[in-house]
Amino acid sequence: MLNIVFYFQVHQPYRLKHINVLDIGKIDRYDNEELNKEIMIKVANKCYLPSNRLMLKLIKRYADKFKIAYSISGVAVEQFKQYAPQVLDSFKELAATGQVEFLAETYYHSLASLIDTDEFLDQIQMHQDLVYKEFGQRPIVFRNTELIYSDKISDIIAEEGYKVMLSEGVDRILKWRSPLYSYKNYSKTISLLLKYYSLSDDIAFRFSNTAWQDYPLTVDKFINWINKLTLSEKLNRNQFLNLFMDYETFGEHQWEETGIFQFVEAMPEAVLKHEHLGFANPSQITGLTNYQQESIAFPETVSWADQERDLSAWMENDMQKNAHETIYSLLKLIKKKKRDDLLPTARMLTTSDHFYYICTKYFQDGDVHKYFSPYDSPEQAYIYYLNALADLEEKLNN
Amino acid sequence: MKILMLTWEFPPVIAGGLGMACYGIVKSLLELDIDIDLVLPTNKTAYFPLREPQDADELPVVFLDQTEDRPSPKKYSYDNVKIGSEPILSSVLTETEVNRLSIERRLHYLGVISNPETYINFHTLKTFRSIFFDTSSTNQPEYVKPDNEVSLLRVIGKSLKGSEDIFKKVQEYTVKATQIAATNNDYDIIHAHDWLTYPPGMLIKKVCDTPLITHIHATEFDRSGGSGDERVHNIEYSGMAFSDSVIAVSKYTAQMIINRYRIGPEKINIVHNAYSSDAKILKTDSKKRIFKGPTILFLGRITIQKGPDYFLDVAKQVLKKHPQARFIMAGTGDMARKLLHKSASYRLKNRFLFAGFLNRKEVEDILSSTDIYLLPSVSEPFGIAPLEAMAYGITAIISKQSGVSEVVDHAYKIDFWDIDKMVETIDFLIENPEKCRNMGIKGMREVEKIRWDDAAAAIKTTYKTIKQTRQHN
Repeated sequence: MLNIVFYFQVHQPYRLKHINVLDIGKIDRYDNEELNKEIMIKVANKCYLPSNRLMLKLIKRYADKFKIAYSISGVAVEQFKQYAPQVLDSFKELAATGQVEFLAETYYHSLASLIDTDEFLDQIQMHQDLVYKEFGQRPIVFRNTELIYSDKISDIIAEEGYKVMLSEGVDRILKWRSPLYSYKNYSKTISLLLKYYSLSDDIAFRFSNTAWQDYPLTVDKFINWINKLTLSEKLNRNQFLNLFMDYETFGEHQWEETGIFQFVEAMPEAVLKHEHLGFANPSQITGLTNYQQESIAFPETVSWADQERDLSAWMENDMQKNAHETIYSLLKLIKKKKRDDLLPTARMLTTSDHFYYICTKYFQDGDVHKYFSPYDSPEQAYIYYLNALADLEEKLNN
Repeated sequence: MKILMLTWEFPPVIAGGLGMACYGIVKSLLELDIDIDLVLPTNKTAYFPLREPQDADELPVVFLDQTEDRPSPKKYSYDNVKIGSEPILSSVLTETEVNRLSIERRLHYLGVISNPETYINFHTLKTFRSIFFDTSSTNQPEYVKPDNEVSLLRVIGKSLKGSEDIFKKVQEYTVKATQIAATNNDYDIIHAHDWLTYPPGMLIKKVCDTPLITHIHATEFDRSGGSGDERVHNIEYSGMAFSDSVIAVSKYTAQMIINRYRIGPEKINIVHNAYSSDAKILKTDSKKRIFKGPTILFLGRITIQKGPDYFLDVAKQVLKKHPQARFIMAGTGDMARKLLHKSASYRLKNRFLFAGFLNRKEVEDILSSTDIYLLPSVSEPFGIAPLEAMAYGITAIISKQSGVSEVVDHAYKIDFWDIDKMVETIDFLIENPEKCRNMGIKGMREVEKIRWDDAAAAIKTTYKTIKQTRQHN
């Protein structure tokens, strides 16, 4: 049987104000409330609300046959509360169906796993508490920011008691292996689900691309591809087709006019027509795995971003590195001085997006970065970010 | 006495010290009862008749071509583009209407923009000298008299047509300024500031037979930090050689003019720049600081001439010993991006910051929060910015390769390349804040005595001398 595992990432960063040197010492908060509110309301209307309505409808229609999972960052939940509380309500409604799983991640959608293990664990705990409080679930599946993964990170997560972790099906790691099976990490302490990136990206990135040879993507075409995947399996092993993508795919990256909602709506029926196809939640895979899981080593750190699927979107150039060093050293100082009043602000500044905006990879992926950046240039984003950190340090020394 | 003043920059639209210097000179000359018609790079054939001192702030405008003074088809309609908080006017306005606009909008309407185009680096070489000098026959350049003015205008226009916008603009400026001069034709002297205005200066001298003064605020050698663009050198040389008198802003610059351009010393007058405060400067003890730690400022264009890379290297060294210090680099320029990336590679955390281009008010704010001003210019003909910093009671460290070092005693003067010495000095000042303050106060008192009135008086004397010489001949 092939189980489709849908996981949707829900995240909205706090975009920062344009903070100049002369604002230092005179500024109360760094987030651009106006802009964040505007974007939240826009995305809520285009994506979150209609998508949640659709998912709820599908769950009611197919009962326990249709399953989906979400990972919602803490900063997104905070902004729902401030700017679009009805979005949070609709997620709670989905949680109440019992068919929807909420995954664990870092509250601030940060890259702390790469720099500061203590901070990483703190932010995971914060997120665990949030998911329990808002959705009544205690996640046992972890997904790190941007699917960042390495052997070292898997050790930390297994140690914390998680059973399953999500990552990217990176070709250079998988080599001959298929991402359709569940694996164990290198030390066999946790199960892994690896994103099937080509089919995920067919929906997330290529769906409305008229230049794509397979345009338009119909449900029949898509199910036909999925069906073919099951042909190679002769031993009746359960397969997992991991379709991981940003939730904003629906209605925001792919506009309503592209027919993306109709595509999603028609998909469960087309899947469930086939006896050997179905849906599963990430936490179910340990029970569904009817074979000895192969262990797979990730000696290098991977992510789901860009063509490189590495860390270069956030930690490649000198500006990004200096920005990281500065915020994490400030965080340490704030904790040392027990300035709890500054901690939420400092942690908000660990959100990965702040570093993404400073990315200078000016080729194909640079365009994606530009699309998602509220700044004119990476240099400008860096200047404002560093000014925020300079102001934070002045507050710390008060 | 009536002067035709040609300059590329004038407040409030300024990119660097040239505009500030022109303002100081013009305002003080007006106080000495000199009448000035100011020509800026406008897109209309217009000039600014300045008669009273306050005209330097109000900039009344006159359109040469009165047919341009027709009623606007769409009166005061605005489009969405904004300068500052004010929308830009999109309709055609009459002279009267233009004069009713605020000064910023008036200049914007007239097409005066603040891009520091004067400082573009040129790569391709084209010869300008062949217009004024016959280079084919002899090694020694000789002045070639064109048959008539029209042909001269044509030759200049043709030669100045470069691939870069700046040469085209100089060409347009030349045509407009010459039209204005030829129409009015009642000027005693043409006073041209820096190379961009030398082509019209020379042409008007030729057409109207009016004496020309070329004022050197910076040469191409200073701007480029090396040899620079040969075309610009040729214009600079032609302008100085063809003028009746050359005003240099410092001994340093005079020396450069003599050594590099072979201009006769007898023709050169040194008139140092000055600084006139608006008397709104806060007292040093009531500073509204940005940082609690010692603050060191670079304020100027981020170009090779100003030595921003030396500033960065100094910061790197000082921060090792004094991590509480904060370095601010304010300004824009062709090296800004490079410096930003380099500073990040030095991992100076949030201790080295970029303030970008600052308007007047912001400059005042940042100066009010600064303890030490460092200007490691590779070559600085004068340098008004350090005087301004000193007027705020800031301790200044200035390059020995600067004209300003000739007029102040209470500042540290260090070779631009001597990073160790600059680091040592800043370390000392951080460790001895009392000494730093005292130096700042002494500097402030010293700067108060460097007045534009004195500079203007010296310039007026030059005007008189030239006029008399002209009458005797």
